[in-house]
Amino acid sequence: MKKIRLIAFAILAMMWTGSLNAQKYMTKNGMIRFYSEAPAENIEAINKQVNSALDISTGDFVFRVLMKAFEFEKALMQEHFNENYVESHKHPNASFTGKVTNLQTIDFTKNGTYEANIEGDLTIKGITKKISEKGTFEVNNGAIRGKSVFMVTLSDFDIKIPRAVVSNIAEKIEVTVDISLQPLNN
Amino acid sequence: MRKWIGIIGALALVGIVVATLVYFFVINKSHPDYENKKPEYFMTAEALFASFREDAAKASEFYNGKIIQVSGQLSSVEDTDGQTVLVFALDQGMFGDEGIRVSMLEAQSAQAVKLTPGQDITLKGFCTGYNDTDVVLNHGSIVQ
Repeated sequence: MKKIRLIAFAILAMMWTGSLNAQKYMTKNGMIRFYSEAPAENIEAINKQVNSALDISTGDFVFRVLMKAFEFEKALMQEHFNENYVESHKHPNASFTGKVTNLQTIDFTKNGTYEANIEGDLTIKGITKKISEKGTFEVNNGAIRGKSVFMVTLSDFDIKIPRAVVSNIAEKIEVTVDISLQPLNN
Repeated sequence: MRKWIGIIGALALVGIVVATLVYFFVINKSHPDYENKKPEYFMTAEALFASFREDAAKASEFYNGKIIQVSGQLSSVEDTDGQTVLVFALDQGMFGDEGIRVSMLEAQSAQAVKLTPGQDITLKGFCTGYNDTDVVLNHGSIVQ
């Protein structure tokens, strides 16, 4: 009898986990780009190894970004970014933990492009700030593509620009997020 | 007078040479040649993953920003948006496989996509860190 109850519990647990995972989408190859437009030069960096997960039943949305994975056109810029500005040896990850707040207006089962409101905590260089941004979710045959463009003020995250290069780096940088989420199948 | 002109000319020439060298070797220096760079650490995929799992902060100090050569059994080959990633899956977490993910150099992609899961391989790449699920190596290349 005990054995039957144990087997029944195991089957229920498997079904429960399965139903939860059916609501979860993720990627480990998401893209985040930042762009700084300043009088002396424009600087762009791209990271294509961004981890992200979305739970469409709760709206929970998370990102994990390795700072050393940002690629710059110039090697020296990349060095300065890691060593002087974001200090990636001390703070190797940036993260976002938040929610899609207008979940009721998005039908993740139906193909289409939906406006999304996203709120949560953005952590860069060990400093966490609340952000509230807009984006889109493009639903296409079971896959979800999330996109957003927003501005980040460097001083909010204690990223100091030396006077000597103040004309080379913008105080606010544009952040572009582009992630293709797939259903989690385990 | 002529002597001074000569001195000023020589100084100007030295200045131009220094400025050119600074521009090419400092300001505009090229990215490392990852494919031909010598690894600083040689280990199994399991050992690298275990060191980040045990103490991520300590492992980050050792390995982040370094070229690491890892060997192990290949679990999967991902090819999305023109980016090839070779995966050593070593554990299961909330979001599926966890382990070592090696994002390959573009020049290595054609060879990398032909690899088959299950085969033993040795790769090297630039360690960008651990994101709580995987250790990520960039600019990867196949050693053998």
